[in-house]
Amino acid sequence: MTTVGQLVFSGLLIGGIYALMSIGLTLIFGVLRVVNFAHGEFLMLAMYGAWAVTKYLGLNPYYSVVAIVPAMFLFGVLVHRMIVAPALDKPHLVVVFATMGLSILMQNVALMAMSADLLDVPPMLGGRSFSFGPFYAKPELLIGFAVAVACTLALRFMLQATYLGKAIRATVQDGEAAQLMGVPVPRIFLITFAAGSALVGLSACVMMPLFSVFPTVGLNFVLIAFVIVVLGGMGSIEGALLGGICIGIVQSLSSYYIAPAFGQMFFFMLFLLVMIFRPAGLLGRKGEASIGIND
Amino acid sequence: MPHALRWAALAAGAVALLATVVPGAAQESIRIGVLQPMTGPATKNGTENYTAMQIARDMFNERGGINGRKVEFLLADIPTPTAAISETERLTTKEGVKITLGSGVSLLAIPVSQAAERHGVFHWETAGAADIITKRGFKYTFQVGPAAYRYGQAAVDITLDELAPKLGKSPANLRVALLWENRAFGKSVGDSIRAYAKEKNINLVYDEGYDQFLTDMTPIVQRLKDVKPDVLLAISFPNDAILFQRKAKELDFNVGAMVGVSAGYSNPDLRDSIGDMVNGIFVSDFAARVNPKALSPETLKVADEFFKRYDDKMKRPPAGHASSAFSATWALFTEVFPKAKTFEPAELRDIALKLDLPEGSLANGSGIKFTNNDWPVDPKDAGQNLRASIGVWQWQKTGNNQVFPKKLATTEPLMVPLPNWSQR
Amino acid sequence: MDAAPPIAKRRPQRWRLMPERGTLSLFELALLAICVALVVARPPQYLQDVVIQTFLWAGLALAWNIAGGFAGLISFGHAAFFGLGAYTSTILTVNHGVTPWIGLWIGGALAAVFATLLTLVCARLRGPFFILSTLAAAEVVRIAALNWEKLTGGAEGLAILPTASVANMVFDSKTTYAALMLGYLVIVYAVTKAVEGSRYGYYLFAARDDEDAASAAGVNPLLARTGAMGLSAFLTGIGGSLFAQYFLFLDPTHVLSPELSFQFALLPALGGLGTAIGPVLGSFAITPLSEMLRAYFGGKAAGLHLAIYGGVLVIVMLYFPSGIAGALQRLSKRWRSSNR
Repeated sequence: MTTVGQLVFSGLLIGGIYALMSIGLTLIFGVLRVVNFAHGEFLMLAMYGAWAVTKYLGLNPYYSVVAIVPAMFLFGVLVHRMIVAPALDKPHLVVVFATMGLSILMQNVALMAMSADLLDVPPMLGGRSFSFGPFYAKPELLIGFAVAVACTLALRFMLQATYLGKAIRATVQDGEAAQLMGVPVPRIFLITFAAGSALVGLSACVMMPLFSVFPTVGLNFVLIAFVIVVLGGMGSIEGALLGGICIGIVQSLSSYYIAPAFGQMFFFMLFLLVMIFRPAGLLGRKGEASIGIND
Repeated sequence: MPHALRWAALAAGAVALLATVVPGAAQESIRIGVLQPMTGPATKNGTENYTAMQIARDMFNERGGINGRKVEFLLADIPTPTAAISETERLTTKEGVKITLGSGVSLLAIPVSQAAERHGVFHWETAGAADIITKRGFKYTFQVGPAAYRYGQAAVDITLDELAPKLGKSPANLRVALLWENRAFGKSVGDSIRAYAKEKNINLVYDEGYDQFLTDMTPIVQRLKDVKPDVLLAISFPNDAILFQRKAKELDFNVGAMVGVSAGYSNPDLRDSIGDMVNGIFVSDFAARVNPKALSPETLKVADEFFKRYDDKMKRPPAGHASSAFSATWALFTEVFPKAKTFEPAELRDIALKLDLPEGSLANGSGIKFTNNDWPVDPKDAGQNLRASIGVWQWQKTGNNQVFPKKLATTEPLMVPLPNWSQR
Repeated sequence: MDAAPPIAKRRPQRWRLMPERGTLSLFELALLAICVALVVARPPQYLQDVVIQTFLWAGLALAWNIAGGFAGLISFGHAAFFGLGAYTSTILTVNHGVTPWIGLWIGGALAAVFATLLTLVCARLRGPFFILSTLAAAEVVRIAALNWEKLTGGAEGLAILPTASVANMVFDSKTTYAALMLGYLVIVYAVTKAVEGSRYGYYLFAARDDEDAASAAGVNPLLARTGAMGLSAFLTGIGGSLFAQYFLFLDPTHVLSPELSFQFALLPALGGLGTAIGPVLGSFAITPLSEMLRAYFGGKAAGLHLAIYGGVLVIVMLYFPSGIAGALQRLSKRWRSSNR
């Protein structure tokens, strides 16, 4: 019993962190209907930033949030202006491949600038972990999970209660009607994309104490993020959290009871099953999968 | 018109790109094709290997080369096996090289040597270890580093000879766990450990491969906790090694002894990433720095110069594979080339097959004696270096010290059994 | 005035200059002539390697385009079909002595069956849901191949012995390989043109552009799509076998990878989705470019050649969104209208 409990517990925590990493992506997809193929590289960039702030300014990686989140927001503005916005009125594949090109570019600029070394930040609390009865968890995991949940709640609140949130929801429902009602849709797109980028920055600060950074680190996470976004229902923030937790737990249990050699196979199979039986994702709107994207 | 401007810009860009071609002019220099993964997932190995090889070239050229002829490297980036084949072909057919060095990792060594052999090119392999490399009936491929099975055997040997007694267990009672990352090198070593353990009647209580992209080690560590091994043998690359050790500490997984095999565990950056947790881990690998008494005085001088130059350039000591790259390249320059007149592959092959250097001749403690379908253990094997030295060193507070086999060792194995996490 | 006859039945009064649906144009003939010249002229071996890869990738891009461009089924999982074809023919050759000339049909057929099942299963999905499902399916195949060591050789890969003979489909001469790949390209192109100009092609375009209207007009979108995906997979699988016969080395990580799947989609997208000539132009532009970038810059600074490639990709996608074919069409229209 202890074993299953530990597996589920750890899977839950890491799943929350996967979800945090994917929330930015799902927000961008929900509003702009574009898939940012450079998502993994945004994460890589933010992680390098968090590492640099920790190393050169001596700050705790969690405090580097103060610097990294705004920086990633600005980066998102830049990428949106230069790459995403010009591609929005063109066929969907254009933005896919333009962001793919961006991802290759970023990976290799990072390689040229930082070399292939794995970089880490020193562990908190000397690397010890907390125990809850027979179960263990590192503080970094607990913090990460807490941030993921808090983020989900904060975003939900923002979307329901603030004007910006209403504007975003209106844009998602019907962009033209929203524009007619005075919502500045292009600016909403910009803000959403930049916010998605900022959220990646937040998740990077939380992930830096747990993972090493190197130029191709994005590749380890980007497929997970895509699966979580579609699994949870595109555009659904709670769906992303739920999807992430599912993935974390499935991976944990399948790697233990079947074999770790299969790596990500089981959650891909889970994903396919969900696509067959609930095509819109766990919390997506019914019929969404049949409409796909508006173009 | 914007359209025409765009086309013109593209065309100009294309012309500019092509104009930056720097053709290699054939001179009196000895041209060697070097194939390393400089981009892609194996970049770290590639860049470190290449740095070590460059140091060998520089040192050799400074000493005058061969009768005034200098060595020239033509570097090609091989991120994937397809690129490996294309680039090897390009270097051999377009640039006309007849000698190649490579290849960073086992998976790439296989296609590089295959393409080299197809063109009758002499290939000197410093890093690739997968056993299949020397079992394909090739004539011109020479694997200077140890084959994968030797890494595994050294790990099992130290377990039996040193660790089991220190843990107070007989081999029959010893619980051994085997964990391997399922890329070519990890799988190859894992297979060899399994076979050797069976031969020695060792009980493998855990034997799992895992995917390189696994980001959460909980299932693996939890299973190990349940199985309670005395000794863990693990073949991991740097990223997974770090994740595993951290998770082991988090979940409080304790083991009598931890033996890593090359790759991630021999990476000098490991201490930067996980700090003092690294102390006590054994590593089956070629030593970066071997017991000076095992080397001849001239070799010792060469080795020391290499270490100094590498440290100056990379700001850290070389990993085992970098050391091996240097040693093998240096041996090529100083043991093979001086005997060559035409530098044709057939001639180089003859020279290589006749080499009979005792252990301690190369900077990393190796000797050279290649198989040539005449090895009793496997007559199908050709080009394997039976004197490639492999041993076990240990991460200790004072540095990385060789602990096995006894004649190469500088200290005793320490910290056996490994103290629990709470005591470290 | 009589209503204009349907385009497919109209006889061309003169040769068209630029590629069009249903007929051959001078442009295509000229391109074919250049390709034949490249094979026959025996350029230096290294360039022959680039030519061979360019032809092979053009064929693969065309195959993808049947599903992605014509039927609107954007797939990021075509590496699964490629790998199935490559591994099937290779395993049959290495373990059972079956000549690749037969093996490649079996590989293609297996890929087609897998694709048909996949499309039926994912029938209700559109857009990113479909795309990611294909990606997930391909990843499942890759991981299975990686672990099913007895069959595929696992991570260490599978190698074909380089003994040259026609029966083995292994050749010493690169010219023969170039001819083989050109043959593949021409056949796939012919199939593509045939589909494009046929009634079946119209069903596909209709189902792609407006499924409900197409249904109302009597087209069965599901059958049309499944057929397209099956055909696409069949041709991709054959391309995979040819790849295996040229490179003589397969490993799951590189032959079944997402990166490869992206490449199959990238070339048609850059060249012009939904046209026949587009994927060919895409490969002719990109394959030599990436090989040469790596050759010239690969040894200079680690990552430089890929950084340049990535940058070029971004710029080309933004400034030429309908691909090279689209740009050429705009150019030709402008030329034609300015000549009137």
